[in-house]
Amino acid sequence: MCGCTREVTRRAHFHLREAPDYVSFMMQASIPHIDPAQARAKEAQLVQWLRAQPSVLLGFSGGVDSAYLGCVAVDAMGPERVLAVIGRSPSYPAEQWATARNVAERFGLPVLELDTYEMSDPNYLANPTNRCFFCKTELWTRLDALAQERGIAVIIDGTNADDRSDYRPGAQAAREHGVRSPLAELGITKAEIRELSRERGIPTWAQPSSPCLSSRIPYGTAITSERLRQVEIAERALRELGVVGDLRVRHHGDLARIELSRDELSAWLIPAHRARIREAVRTAGFARVAIDLRGFRSGSLNVLGGVRPA
Amino acid sequence: MSAATLERALGESGVGGTVEARGPLAILTLPHDHVIDETLRATLVALAPAHGFTHIALEITDDADDRAALHRH
Repeated sequence: MCGCTREVTRRAHFHLREAPDYVSFMMQASIPHIDPAQARAKEAQLVQWLRAQPSVLLGFSGGVDSAYLGCVAVDAMGPERVLAVIGRSPSYPAEQWATARNVAERFGLPVLELDTYEMSDPNYLANPTNRCFFCKTELWTRLDALAQERGIAVIIDGTNADDRSDYRPGAQAAREHGVRSPLAELGITKAEIRELSRERGIPTWAQPSSPCLSSRIPYGTAITSERLRQVEIAERALRELGVVGDLRVRHHGDLARIELSRDELSAWLIPAHRARIREAVRTAGFARVAIDLRGFRSGSLNVLGGVRPA
Repeated sequence: MSAATLERALGESGVGGTVEARGPLAILTLPHDHVIDETLRATLVALAPAHGFTHIALEITDDADDRAALHRH
């Protein structure tokens, strides 16, 4: 066994009671070894970067990355120079909103909410493979206007170093609006963000990634409020059933395809447990329910839509 | 993508059941109490791409679905 594996195993067991979800991440997702000293050095650079800005407006979702960035920003710059903005729309899960509010309150992060209207954009509703571009264009246009109105110098987001290698059409919208991504610019990876968040006591450190609800709808299938609502209800029902770790309910019309983390998969494939999954998901209005046998894959619909190889 | 050839391959591997194709997604239906252990799961996942599928999912059925399937045959 190499040293890296030992380190991951030891760390995972150490935090077992504290955050069982995280064990799944560390054990199954082949997350690379994290050098805590290197991560802290990058954080020091991040603090310097933030302090060099007169003021920042953060696109804040309450996800792992933007929660970490918001907490570091308010710590480094003080609350008077930071504003975190939550963009609310039907594709933004209510649970994520609650997390965002909780983190903001706990860490003294000034927060503002505004509605976004991507659901009024036919380009977005048609759900093309660059759907995220239209959503992010709406978001950054509104945040850009807000930053100008309030005299805030720089708009930032939580894009991390790993995101740069993924298919992310939303990044183009960010570039067009001059949004800076300090986590990515300083080479801070998702694993490092989790570790640094844990050290700071930010509750999102063990939280599964949770992109917007539209990411559960295959490209070419129209985005509707009803479909988004179905996905949200089904995922909440599965959480209440006891599903932990990564989870996606993919919307295939009358059929819901459930992606579970690899560690969860074998337990939920037991016939009696399968029946409970079906019962839970059907409350969201799906006639048919299926469990993906490969389990959770980030960007699974990119593969299904031919945007990314399998 | 071919549901028929995947179905045949499954049969040859000793797994019954039916396959429905929705583009590159294969939806597999087995009797509701069919046990899927790790070996079988891995076999199914490995078989799907050979027949053009990027995804394979097990539809969750119940007793009534099994009876209905029996009547259809």
